[in-house]
Amino acid sequence: MAADRPCFPTSIHRSTPNAIRLNRALRMSRRDALLGALGAAAVVTGSRQGMAATAGQDDTGVPLFMALSQRLTDRDTLDPRIGNALYAGIINAVPERRDQIQKLHDFMTGGSFASARALASAAEHQDPVFKDVIQDIMTGWYRGLADHKVVVYRSALMFDITKDAIYPKTYATGGPFYWTQTPPEVAVPTGEPALSPSKLVIEPT
Amino acid sequence: MPSEQDLSADVVIVGSGVAGSSIANELARAGISVIVLEAGPRVDRQHFVENFRNLENKPSYQGPFPAVPWARHPPNQITPNEYLHTTGPDAEAYQQVYLRMMGGTTWHWAGCAWRYLPSDFELKTRYGQGRDWALKYDDLEPFYYQAEVMMGVCGPDPSVEDLGSPRKQPYPMDALPISYAAQQFRKLIGEKTPYRVVHEPQARNTRPYDSRPTCEGHNNCMPICPIGAMYNGSYSVYHAEAAGAKFVPNAVVYRIERDSANKRVTAVHYYDPDKGSHRVTGKYFVIAAHCIETAKLMLFSADEQSPDGIANSSGHVGRNMMDHTGVQVSFISGDKALWPGRGPLETNVIDNFRDGDWRNERGAYLVHMVDDNQVDLATQLAIAKGYVGRELEEQIRYLASHTVRLFSHNEGLADPDNRLTLSKTNKDMLGIPHPEVYYKLPEYTVKSCEHTRGLFRDLIGLMHGTDEEWTPGYFPQDHPAGSTIMGTDPKDSVVDGFCRTHDHENLFIASSSVFSSVGTGNITLTVAALALRVADTLKKELAHA
Repeated sequence: MAADRPCFPTSIHRSTPNAIRLNRALRMSRRDALLGALGAAAVVTGSRQGMAATAGQDDTGVPLFMALSQRLTDRDTLDPRIGNALYAGIINAVPERRDQIQKLHDFMTGGSFASARALASAAEHQDPVFKDVIQDIMTGWYRGLADHKVVVYRSALMFDITKDAIYPKTYATGGPFYWTQTPPEVAVPTGEPALSPSKLVIEPT
Repeated sequence: MPSEQDLSADVVIVGSGVAGSSIANELARAGISVIVLEAGPRVDRQHFVENFRNLENKPSYQGPFPAVPWARHPPNQITPNEYLHTTGPDAEAYQQVYLRMMGGTTWHWAGCAWRYLPSDFELKTRYGQGRDWALKYDDLEPFYYQAEVMMGVCGPDPSVEDLGSPRKQPYPMDALPISYAAQQFRKLIGEKTPYRVVHEPQARNTRPYDSRPTCEGHNNCMPICPIGAMYNGSYSVYHAEAAGAKFVPNAVVYRIERDSANKRVTAVHYYDPDKGSHRVTGKYFVIAAHCIETAKLMLFSADEQSPDGIANSSGHVGRNMMDHTGVQVSFISGDKALWPGRGPLETNVIDNFRDGDWRNERGAYLVHMVDDNQVDLATQLAIAKGYVGRELEEQIRYLASHTVRLFSHNEGLADPDNRLTLSKTNKDMLGIPHPEVYYKLPEYTVKSCEHTRGLFRDLIGLMHGTDEEWTPGYFPQDHPAGSTIMGTDPKDSVVDGFCRTHDHENLFIASSSVFSSVGTGNITLTVAALALRVADTLKKELAHA
């Protein structure tokens, strides 16, 4: 008979989703306890890696990440506070991204790329792993996500570029029945994708 | 924790959702003592709003509402599930979600407040399918109105837009003005098809009502309205408490005690989170614990007197599990920009298939054009297609403004083989089994879904749609019903037309679990109307006691 263990704090309904995820990650079952020293060693090693991978304000990778981000978003300015947090999340999720971002930055500065599309297309041709790096960067800035966590919600660029038409959920400020008004028309896009397509994986609900 | 001598009331209610809290409110206002036992915790809106904003998987309606370990609920709609274990050929079609906490599952509903049609109560008589209820529409009509006033329902003027459920009173509030996207959809359907799009009646404020604000169109009715413009059960909890009802959170009822004759319930027993046991006595008892948890409790309360469970001489407790099965498709409209997601989530419905002679062979359904903000989905899609930079931004704007999502509620049918039982392999921390449901879609529902797919294909063509994404198979609409089914014959039903159990004269059930058919409209208003009818019965009986 598998019985649930009371391993959640009693105030869990007040927890954030990120805290809940952490709680689950740290759940210790009897089987886990039997793993003993091996488990403990893994936790220590993991936490050291986590600390080492965490970007600080003076992390040399952050300026490279910001420069790449500006090119890949075709934008001259991006919020460095968000960039710092995105970079930290991206390299925490995949530590190899630190080196890959460095290499992608080197690739960018070693050539002449007039647009995000030009850089992304050439980069994937150079090394297929750059596609994953670029999509992490796009997901970070446009959706506000890194390391499966929300870094920013209403400041995600997807809401900046649609703010003439629509509000982020829970942040509507249009006044009574604003939704009856005619929103802006949108022309059929003519631009081409830069990267090879990926399968869209929607997280189940 | 109150001492045992405090735990007695005229009426003891299990569950604090819309049903339990509205009964408590009515009784307390009539001067009747009430105790409501809620398995989950007392909660507040703002934590859930922040949880939503910090949620990576925004479409997860359960995501912002973590369960407590002593009152678990399904964490998601994924099969296999950590709590609601579904089996059978259509297990995934019954992977319901619901909430166990003060106020109940209406923390995340869309406020759709449909009355059932008169024919929904007479499915067997009119169409030879399923079962009739042990009451008629006219019996429930006054309580429908009472429920609409309680919740604050807005809806269309019946002389302009008759929704098929006769009304003696107008809606408490004017209909919600529909969004630009819904206006365009309504116009298209009106001009190019024989069908119509109607204003959906909603428990949502179109003016300040019951000390709650007018809807601001945050587009987040599910999973959480940030401002309380939409009714949920917590408001009936607050009103009931103000009127003197006593609510006990974290009280997991696990046993229903009866007298030696097994005719009257004498007490319910609950565990606190430390598994301390408490006994609560009363004159009347109401189980209002959601369709699934109600049946679970009645089965788990089996003892020597009732070896098959409480109120289960018919053997029908846990059987006849129904739902509105859904068909869903998203596509990119080739017409002008719609920008869905401005305003409330569900405001408009194609209602032509809610009733017809064809119900003698296939189930009814209704269709929502979901007014859901598509910006995040558009962004995911555009990134997956390989866009970056300026081209990515163009794609996001185009996809967010042209994505259309349609889904349906297809009518289920009572089938005793679709059955809830107690899990033999999974228990919670209190030792109470998880629920398990076997589900096979009735052919009646499958035929209905096929008809819906045909309609959706026609609509996609009308809107010059591309990039169709059909949700695979069948999905649950979280409207479970039937587990303590209503009927006139105690041999094949659990409660009578007043929701009183056939077996125990002072035990009532207030839940969609009593539904004999499931119709097409969202179930909550009917749950509330039935609950208010239970309250009316209890008031009369206690007045004469």
